[in-house]
Amino acid sequence: MKSIMIIEDEKTLREELSVLLQNAGYETLCVTDYENVSKQMKASDADLILLDINLPGESGETLLQDFRKQSDTPVIMLTSRTTEIDEVLSMSYGADDYITKPNNPTILLLRISAVLKRSARPSAVQKYHDIEVSTVKGSLLRKDAEQILTKNEMIIFQLLLDRQGEIVTRDALMTALWDNDEFVNDNALSVNISRLRGKLAELGLPDAIETRKKQGYVLK
Amino acid sequence: MKFKDHLKDRLTAYLIYGISWVLVLIFMAAFRIPFQAIVIVSIILLLTVIAAELWGIWRKKSYYDKLLHCLDELDKKHLLFEMAEVPEFLDGRILYNVMQETNRSMCEHIAEYRRENKGFREYIELWVHEIKLPVAGLQLMCHNDGNTKYAEQLKQIDDYIENVLYYARSGNAEKDYIVGSVSLKRAFADIAIKNREQLQQRDITLRTEDLDNNVMTDGKWLGFILGQLMGNSMKYGATEITVTAEALPDKTVLHFWDNGIGIPENDLPYIFEKSFTGENGRTHRRSTGMGLYIVGKLCKKLGHSVAAKSVQGEFTEIVITFGKNDIYDVR
Repeated sequence: MKSIMIIEDEKTLREELSVLLQNAGYETLCVTDYENVSKQMKASDADLILLDINLPGESGETLLQDFRKQSDTPVIMLTSRTTEIDEVLSMSYGADDYITKPNNPTILLLRISAVLKRSARPSAVQKYHDIEVSTVKGSLLRKDAEQILTKNEMIIFQLLLDRQGEIVTRDALMTALWDNDEFVNDNALSVNISRLRGKLAELGLPDAIETRKKQGYVLK
Repeated sequence: MKFKDHLKDRLTAYLIYGISWVLVLIFMAAFRIPFQAIVIVSIILLLTVIAAELWGIWRKKSYYDKLLHCLDELDKKHLLFEMAEVPEFLDGRILYNVMQETNRSMCEHIAEYRRENKGFREYIELWVHEIKLPVAGLQLMCHNDGNTKYAEQLKQIDDYIENVLYYARSGNAEKDYIVGSVSLKRAFADIAIKNREQLQQRDITLRTEDLDNNVMTDGKWLGFILGQLMGNSMKYGATEITVTAEALPDKTVLHFWDNGIGIPENDLPYIFEKSFTGENGRTHRRSTGMGLYIVGKLCKKLGHSVAAKSVQGEFTEIVITFGKNDIYDVR
């Protein structure tokens, strides 16, 4: 399980963020003592750090600059300041992403998983059971049988695969599609999922995607 | 300063000169001074008066001509007295000092307002910053509790907060934006995701074409602008929004098209004006006339041009033109 360190001095926000991330299947580490944030950052073995910019004492930007001298752990900056200047500055200090509060929680989760994935540098070919998933070619390969997925189907399959065994909500799928400039509606999503199911069935996995009523989908 | 005006101005003085000359003539005649002497004295007097007058006219004319020329050339007229020389003649000097004094007082007055205005704007920025925290908290709570009912209201609150923020920023005399290379595709997708729930509730289809262009602008500001346009499309009954970009050699033109109720032809020239709501404003209660006004101001500050085309009942199209400036293109 990936762990995420939350550095946010607002108690409510911190707690809610922690719940959000735990629900999404991450382990969370909340910083509650704002005396030695820098030390705590360096000491933790979190896979990703969510860092607020406005902190008591040292600002998030200073902390990030300092942290980057030692570690490459991905850092996402969180802020309610919405100026391009802040963003450009944070990115130049080595932030991996920059998210303004309030932001749609689904987008936050999407960005987190994107940053984690980037830092993990997965091989171009992923495995699902004995199917080879090639994002480059956009295809699923099992022995000799190959199924070409459309862009939408690939995005959906990729997200389900990343969270294999967990429930992925329609909301999350939709957000991921829209994030890739595929502005599909509810119907189109259903159609895409049933096509994807069909293609998986062709490869001998007819019940790979399970529907959970009112919750979402699970890739088994 | 015309010669005729000057003569008119000095009319009283000439009358006095005339009367004194008549008196001198009468006295000289009374003392039986020879006619030739009277003529000579008269000529001397006349020449003296003309010389004195010409000198006076020349002195003032050369000063005022310079001053008027200066005023003409000046872009900010109120800076005239920073540029003007001190006149040599007394009445000019008095007026000059008076003007200097009033000018200074006006400057102080304006500086005070500017300070107040700046303070207010800074407070707005700070306040927006603060209010966003509880909104963010509520948004997370809604999500964590699986409650979507409040999410739309929260989104609206967030939108209104953004409006205030960008209104304050649009009026700012200082430069608080960064122009950089921004992907139109990314900017549009971000705004689309932000508004996804509302768009889907209204069953609005989004289409994009040729957005693989980068434009020189401030990403956050562009996001706000696109958000406003999308908000308008939703408010005015669109079921389809099409966004396209054309890359021309010297500029990139973004077309934001929707098939909403459109804008009446009579209202079209005024839609970027402050508080203008027009006919659509009377039929749609939530028009404030601020959205497009702020959009127009932001575009102007960023150096983009913005225009609107519409046929009532058919479509509305907002066209934003981004210049391609080599100065910005540092790579």
